[in-house]
Amino acid sequence: MSIMRALRAGAAATLLTLASQGAHAESVKLTWYMWASSDVEVAAWKHVAGMVTAKYPDITVELQTSAFLEYWTKMPALAAGGKLPDIVSLQSLRFPGVAPLMEPLDGRIADSKLHITSFDPSILKALSRQGKQLALPYDFGPLVLYYNQDAFQKAGVMLPKPGWTEAEFNFAAKTFSKEGMFGIVPSVPDAFMVFARSRGARYLDDKGQLDLVNPGIKAAFAAYVELVTVDKVSPLLPASGTLSSTIANGRFTSGGVAMYVDGPWQLINLKKKATFTVGIAPVPTRSGGSVSVTAGSGFGIAGTSKHKDEAFKAITIMTGPEAEQYLAENGRAFPARSAFQTFWFQTAAQGMTDAPAAMAAALKTAEPYVTTPNWATVGALFEQYAPLAFSGSETPEKVLETIQKLASQ
Amino acid sequence: MTARKRQSPAEAALWSLRHGGMVAVTALFLFPFFWMLSNALRPDGEVFTIPPRLFPSRMQWHNFLDVWVYLPFGQFFFNSFFVAASVTVIVLVVSSLAAYAFARLRFRFKASLFLVYLGTLMVPQAVIVIPLFLMMGTFGWIDTYQALIIPAAFSSFGTFLLRQHFMSIPKELEEAALIDGATHLRILLVIFLPLSKQVIALLALFTFTGQWNSFLWPLIVTNGPDHATLALGLTLFQGQQGTEWNYMMTGAAISMLPGLLLTILMHRYIFKGIAVGSGFGGR
Amino acid sequence: MSVRAVTALPVRLEQGPCPKPTGRQSSRLRPDLQTAMLFLLPSTLGLLVFLIVPLLASFALSFTNWQVIGDLSFVGVANYIRLITADPVFWQVMRVTFLYSFEYLVLNITLSLTMAVWISSLSWGKQVFRLVFFLPTFTPVVGIAIVWLLMLTPGGVVDWTVATLHLPLPNLITTPNYALQALVVVALWSHFGYNMLLFGAALEAVPESYLEAAKIDGASAWQRFWKIKLPLISPSLFFGSVLTAITSLQAFDQVYALTHGGPGSATTTLGYAIYSQGFVSYHLGYASAIAWVLFAIIMMLTGLQLRLQRRWVHYDS
Repeated sequence: MSIMRALRAGAAATLLTLASQGAHAESVKLTWYMWASSDVEVAAWKHVAGMVTAKYPDITVELQTSAFLEYWTKMPALAAGGKLPDIVSLQSLRFPGVAPLMEPLDGRIADSKLHITSFDPSILKALSRQGKQLALPYDFGPLVLYYNQDAFQKAGVMLPKPGWTEAEFNFAAKTFSKEGMFGIVPSVPDAFMVFARSRGARYLDDKGQLDLVNPGIKAAFAAYVELVTVDKVSPLLPASGTLSSTIANGRFTSGGVAMYVDGPWQLINLKKKATFTVGIAPVPTRSGGSVSVTAGSGFGIAGTSKHKDEAFKAITIMTGPEAEQYLAENGRAFPARSAFQTFWFQTAAQGMTDAPAAMAAALKTAEPYVTTPNWATVGALFEQYAPLAFSGSETPEKVLETIQKLASQ
Repeated sequence: MTARKRQSPAEAALWSLRHGGMVAVTALFLFPFFWMLSNALRPDGEVFTIPPRLFPSRMQWHNFLDVWVYLPFGQFFFNSFFVAASVTVIVLVVSSLAAYAFARLRFRFKASLFLVYLGTLMVPQAVIVIPLFLMMGTFGWIDTYQALIIPAAFSSFGTFLLRQHFMSIPKELEEAALIDGATHLRILLVIFLPLSKQVIALLALFTFTGQWNSFLWPLIVTNGPDHATLALGLTLFQGQQGTEWNYMMTGAAISMLPGLLLTILMHRYIFKGIAVGSGFGGR
Repeated sequence: MSVRAVTALPVRLEQGPCPKPTGRQSSRLRPDLQTAMLFLLPSTLGLLVFLIVPLLASFALSFTNWQVIGDLSFVGVANYIRLITADPVFWQVMRVTFLYSFEYLVLNITLSLTMAVWISSLSWGKQVFRLVFFLPTFTPVVGIAIVWLLMLTPGGVVDWTVATLHLPLPNLITTPNYALQALVVVALWSHFGYNMLLFGAALEAVPESYLEAAKIDGASAWQRFWKIKLPLISPSLFFGSVLTAITSLQAFDQVYALTHGGPGSATTTLGYAIYSQGFVSYHLGYASAIAWVLFAIIMMLTGLQLRLQRRWVHYDS
């Protein structure tokens, strides 16, 4: 064992000398850490990894996986142990915290023939920090409103469509609550941020710091809470070991709630599980417009990687046209490369005639979901403290103040 | 012991109350399991219906087959079983040796060393996870079975449990053997262990179930399905793209089988009388 | 000597204190030391490498501002000072931890003892009932938490039952004052089986002859329990209490899976605070400091329990 290791170390050293002379022969094994759950999902990502080897036979990409939430629990241990993989998968919302661990890609992007402009600019920006591009995106999407089309038609309520208003939304929500259903599930923090931005409220100050105590955001949260406490159009979600958006998803697919806000990456599973027709629309227009936020994911290179050049080659393939087409056709991702979105409409949104218009409208007014470096903490605090406001145990204002205080600790 | 006692009507009533009451309590206690199975057998879309459905609209028995395809559940099952069984075996060996030393041998600093052992029981796991992970890195053990087994195999719980039982074994038994020139190892093997079958069965069961359910450490130290355990596998039903609630319940129900089997196999020992004393008796 | 003869002997209950070397035995001190070293080597080595070294490492970390990212620098006792004086939730977390542990300990011991006594009084089905109450320990806490979440969630089966029967109960997990109770209920349900088995086994070992003798003397069932059974099983009771106290003070798994510390900080225990500072916010230095505070508390309380045992634990010999 140790002899093998010594030999391998020797070989690597020789290789380095050779490489510095311009030669390049030995194959490189890259590690890639990704969140994935089912066998089907893991197989899809393995397929993407295989695309790298198909293009560059001397590079193999070895996939490591965890469930989505656990992925982020494991990250600090990997980082602390100097065990980050060569290729790190990043989600824009949870990304700022680990940004310092990532290798800036700008130099390599400039040297390569990569057409960076074929990616959607908002997700590129979301995966950059202080002007440096830290990851290449594979998917993205504005949060959209999913609705139970059958329930809408049965209740005789006009279907949500681009440009629909707050008043129409409220009318629909109240109609459903009279029918023993709920109108919408108020998950936090992402769906709330969309709600707040559509009212023109800001959650960051001019310097980009978290600001949950300005009057605009307080009023927005109070209104959001009233959906549960006053209007009674929303179920009460508990603080739990499960994300509120996950519970919202379960409630929606069970048919107990008529609408819910989430990203386009959910569509394929929603359609699979729901026993009703799923509709998709932009979020309703409020006083600030119909403003959604875009989030998405991509692949970056760890600063500690010993094979940065190879890793860069790999991620250009993993986010390249072929991979994007494959992922879109499997409904895995709403592609970050705008030209490939049609594949997603043909598969994930198959049979949903309103989907292209809805996505186009949502994208038009969506803004990058700008976050603070400690956004993982902010998100966890929202999950933990917002239920206090929903249950009426504390005022919405007090809850935001608490989150602000604890987040800036 | 038997129901022969039912002589007076008052005693008979009390007897029925005791037994009937226990059946009622048991039924109530089992409700979460009923709910687990009921959810394990329903279509995913029916998990959150309002009002809740006690029984699925249709029984999806195939959920119990589907989970094995949805995830490499068989692999997780094997990993969990292999790890838990290995840890249990090592714990039994290591703890009986240490327990014998603390119960019967005389040496300096015994009391202090015993206190150190006691202290290790009090270490919160979250404290040592990161340093331990760094250590695994230097050993080259990340994502291996030994990383799951070895660090978990040295809990001093077993030492306490066994030590106290060993202390209750009459001394006369081994003194004769010692005079006959038997070694301590032999005494442990032929006198102490056979007399401790019940405690050992209890320790095996506690270690096995504890290990079977371990979560944080396997999460940190494994890199995917190859070495992931069942407890981790269950989290995989909660993905970025929604949660398979029904499968998760199916998985949870299946995960109970080995513990159940182990208990039934060892029931003769586990439910028998043993005086598990305080391991902290004589400081 | 015959092994068969040995195994035939009844297992005696006497729990003797650590035997003191007598003059006659001291001649065997030297060989004992060698055997002891050999016997203790595996466990001592294992504990040293996999517990004590990492523990000391985390102690060192608690004096740094390590955040995974960026440099690590020594900050002295700043983490501890911040924890005690500036952290807005620390005292709340302490309160929750103590409240939870105390309540859980008392209820767990009461419940497991009651059930153990009750089951041992039955004339049939003892093994089945013991098995049933031990069932929850077979499934990982993630699975248990999801079942209970589905049951307790607003509009779930528990709410529905409460509403149907018009019981004056709020929803357990959304009401801050009750969320901790939900945690206690779930933890009891899933873990009291351990102590129940422990106490049940001890009760079975109480010699029938003692009880018969007491019965002849005219002692009631109640008296036989308090005067004979309880003292005889008190070492087991003590063992169970100490370990339950330790594990409940460390409570993390059930909090992580069931409530994530919420709503608000209503169920944030020290164990969960360590996790959230370390693994969510990446404040590893600070998390280590909290962990050491927890460790110190557990040591003090266990020390206290050891001291108090003389008052009520009977090691008769």
